[in-house]
Amino acid sequence: MNGRLRDQGPTLLVATLAAAFGVALLQVTGILAAVLAEDDVTGSSGTVRLMLGIVASVFITIAVYVSAVVTANTVATIVAGRTRQIALLRLIGSSARSQRAAIAREGLVIGALGAALGAVVGSASAWVLGEVGVAQGVIPSVERSLLDPVVLLPMGAVVLTTWLAAWTGSRRVLAVRPVQALGNSAEADLDEVSSRVGRTVAAWVFVILGALLLVLGVLVGLVRPEGVLIGLVGGILSFTGIVLAAHRVMPPVLRAVGSLFGGRPAARLAAENAVRHPERSARMTIGIVIGVTLVTTFAVTMESYRTMLTTAFADEPALQSEIGPMVDGTVAVFSALIGFSAVIAAVGLVNTLSISIMQRTRELGLLRALGFDRRQIRAMVLVEAAALTVAATATGLVLGVVYGWAGAQSMLGSVGGAPAIVAPAIPWLIVAIVVVAAALLTLAASVAPMRRAARVSPVVALAVE
Amino acid sequence: MQIQPSDLGLIARVAELGKRYGSGSGSVTALDDVSLGLRRGEFTAIMGPSGSGKSTLMHIMAGLDSPTSGRAWLGDTDITELSDSALTVLRRRRIGFVFQSFNLVPTLDVRGNIMLPFELDGRRPSRDEQEWIDELVETLGLGARLRHRPHELSGGQQQRVAIARALATRPDLVFADEPTGNLDSRTGREVLGLLAAASARYGQSIAMVTHDPIAASHADRILFLADGRIVRDAGRSSAEDISAFMLGMETAA
Repeated sequence: MNGRLRDQGPTLLVATLAAAFGVALLQVTGILAAVLAEDDVTGSSGTVRLMLGIVASVFITIAVYVSAVVTANTVATIVAGRTRQIALLRLIGSSARSQRAAIAREGLVIGALGAALGAVVGSASAWVLGEVGVAQGVIPSVERSLLDPVVLLPMGAVVLTTWLAAWTGSRRVLAVRPVQALGNSAEADLDEVSSRVGRTVAAWVFVILGALLLVLGVLVGLVRPEGVLIGLVGGILSFTGIVLAAHRVMPPVLRAVGSLFGGRPAARLAAENAVRHPERSARMTIGIVIGVTLVTTFAVTMESYRTMLTTAFADEPALQSEIGPMVDGTVAVFSALIGFSAVIAAVGLVNTLSISIMQRTRELGLLRALGFDRRQIRAMVLVEAAALTVAATATGLVLGVVYGWAGAQSMLGSVGGAPAIVAPAIPWLIVAIVVVAAALLTLAASVAPMRRAARVSPVVALAVE
Repeated sequence: MQIQPSDLGLIARVAELGKRYGSGSGSVTALDDVSLGLRRGEFTAIMGPSGSGKSTLMHIMAGLDSPTSGRAWLGDTDITELSDSALTVLRRRRIGFVFQSFNLVPTLDVRGNIMLPFELDGRRPSRDEQEWIDELVETLGLGARLRHRPHELSGGQQQRVAIARALATRPDLVFADEPTGNLDSRTGREVLGLLAAASARYGQSIAMVTHDPIAASHADRILFLADGRIVRDAGRSSAEDISAFMLGMETAA
């Protein structure tokens, strides 16, 4: 049990990050609400407080969802690597059900630990932020306790989802047969793609319905700005569909990206490695896709909005100079809030990739024995990491530009009085930041496995387990 | 064990080879003053009980491990002090491996696995080599399987692919480590027959490490190792003779 908990360090980190994010966001919202209550104009209005709460819970939900996907993936990857050990325990009489329950229990413990740690970290960050705000004179000093019971909500959500994710991720324990403990070491590559028909059908329905609503939103937007509300529903539906169908959507993208790295053996093997466990790769990348898509969508919409405003107020430079900082500020705050889930997803990717590669020690030894030199092994690991991050960010950027344009078009298409086509304005700064972040992530994800993989001795390929 | 200067037909040779693991009183001697030569074109079996040092000997001869004392040559190349990258290129071009657990790359199909040594070298097979590969594929009965992945093949088929991969570059020496260890006896016999044929028909030098007397009975020459020393150097022998000698070694020990 102790050994198992040690494997779960990254899961604890993910749970802590999600809980800290949720708690900090709610605490900051609380502080802002307290500040607003002091204010004469807004104090009487409960709407502002409600809006703040809704916005915060949307971000928290995204973060918690991404962390659950990451946790499920980590657990599934660890379970895949422990097949022999699980089979051995099954062989000497342990039931699959009890083994799975043990893993789920670990999830519960780690979720609770992460929630508690996250509450402390999150509250502390919010308190520091508040104090800094007061010291800088940005907000007035208000009395507010940090022991707000509302923070129990994200904490509870983290505990619950970590538990559930551990349960979901451990599904493959049930498929391990006791005889696998005796089998020879010639590993069959288990294809993890399960044919969950229901999920695929639901995903298709969401995507088609969502796309239709998006189109409708754009059309309505040509005459009335309310089109954006239809488009919003369409966007949420279709994107949910894409996330649900990640195991169908991501592998082709990964294959396409992988082929870009050329036909040299290290690159070709890396491209294959990136899709050898399609379900695992899909879950490794989807969190980043979600983050990049949302950030890009929002940034593209706002950028288009800014372009329209600057054109509209071309003869009023005073107004123009006020638009810039407002748009930039909003984009920055929203990007940071959404980007946090991408950070959680990145932690998951780094960890899962590292485990996956070390589970292939024997194969690495074989390649060394056959004549792969250390440089080629390192290149192989780097290209595999790059294939994953490039596929994720490219997908996110493309989806984000499409959604962002649809949003801008349906919101602004009728503003000029006559129906007009709004050209999508690309926020190059945000795109550049996303690309740099992806490059950094690639390096972060590959540095440790690269070193360890290059150290594998060819003798392990000859050794019999 | 005699290595005569006139014995020019050697493909690999080790002299006064020693290998110790650990140091001080806790050290273990895996090889103790081993000298031997493998003749070109011969199918040699290296036999011995577990812990006799046969795997260590093979690792050193294949450039996968370095000896504590003594030297090892592949052809005329002294491989004892080659750098890691030089050894990598040596393995790629001049050595083939057949493993007990087949060890194919699971993400590559049969063709990809066979061609891997060429790709690692960054070149395409020449026309002559391509004809050789086609012949291998034909002889090993893999023609209909070229697009299959390893997990779609039986153990015997996987080992045939491994043999094709090992022979494809016509290496100086093929090392086979218990090649029949994971196969049923009929498939195992087939695989041994293929190795023996590669040696007899094409002059391929093969060194096979095994503790199975039946496997060793397919070889032209059998070296027996015990406690890190060569204890017998025999020509082709029947499985019964080999078993009898092995049993004698056990009782003497």
